[in-house]
Amino acid sequence: MAEMRLIESGRMGRVAYARIAPNEDLVSSVEKLCLAEGFGHAFVRGALGSLVDACLERADGSCQVIRGPAAEIVSLAGEVRSQPDGSLRAALTGVVADTHGHLYGGPFVAGANAVCVTFEVTLEEWLPSPDNP
Amino acid sequence: MVEKLMGLPRSRTVVHPGPFRPVRIDRMRDQKGRHFRLSLPGGRTLHESLVQALADEGVASASMTLIGGELAELGFCLALPDPTGRVLATYGAPHRVHGACFIFGNATLGSSASGTPVVHCHGAFRTADGAVRGGHILTDRTVVGRRSVTAVVTALDSFELRVVYDDETRMPLMRPQARRVHG
Repeated sequence: MAEMRLIESGRMGRVAYARIAPNEDLVSSVEKLCLAEGFGHAFVRGALGSLVDACLERADGSCQVIRGPAAEIVSLAGEVRSQPDGSLRAALTGVVADTHGHLYGGPFVAGANAVCVTFEVTLEEWLPSPDNP
Repeated sequence: MVEKLMGLPRSRTVVHPGPFRPVRIDRMRDQKGRHFRLSLPGGRTLHESLVQALADEGVASASMTLIGGELAELGFCLALPDPTGRVLATYGAPHRVHGACFIFGNATLGSSASGTPVVHCHGAFRTADGAVRGGHILTDRTVVGRRSVTAVVTALDSFELRVVYDDETRMPLMRPQARRVHG
């Protein structure tokens, strides 16, 4: 098994804000925002908005669907990382409220979380220092 | 309603009442964000404290995380399908709760077309009976209690966040725009 790298040093760079329109996928839109802005790695600094239905991954790999519209994104944390093949991959996890205000949490499943009305996201570019192993 | 599904569910494509807007990602970039930490005091609304503290620093647009604290009064509403069909989803009637523990939330500071500060906030909270809920926080109806709410702020200086009427959804929505020239 490869040894896991525990720490990566670096600094924050540029900041990007975007408004994502209806029916766009949450996870791939965040990746496309990084692509558009030229960010290789990024942290989500803040995000809020609504989804048509929310789809969260369960521990057994199945999906938990919270029916809207609209399922509100209450809070979201996540990052985007450049992959060894050069592609970008976002990992987003968060808390969603249904139309009764009940809360659900977990990782957002890529391709299954369409924006309902709007999604606002702020990304901060992460610049790993060149002397990382 | 919650469903357990194996495999990827098919996401629904919803149809908004207005014309499809070709731009799907409105975006702007700042070379460097300015960062602040705020401690929002008891007895004042979230809106009042956030707007004033940030205005004092010359901040009109920002993205922030709200952490913990106690709320003496909490105003919030939920997103629901619009029974009239005028829009796809709208906010229901405001709910009012006396005394709640704020868990966390995210907020955006921007301005209306006329320049009035606007705070868009979603958050999770625990009410006095122990129920954990979340939704759209009405920051001008939410008063901080004995324990202050902390806000970690990334200020956006080189562009503005402005609420503009969106034809597609027929709703006023926050969008990044070039800075207005003042004076």
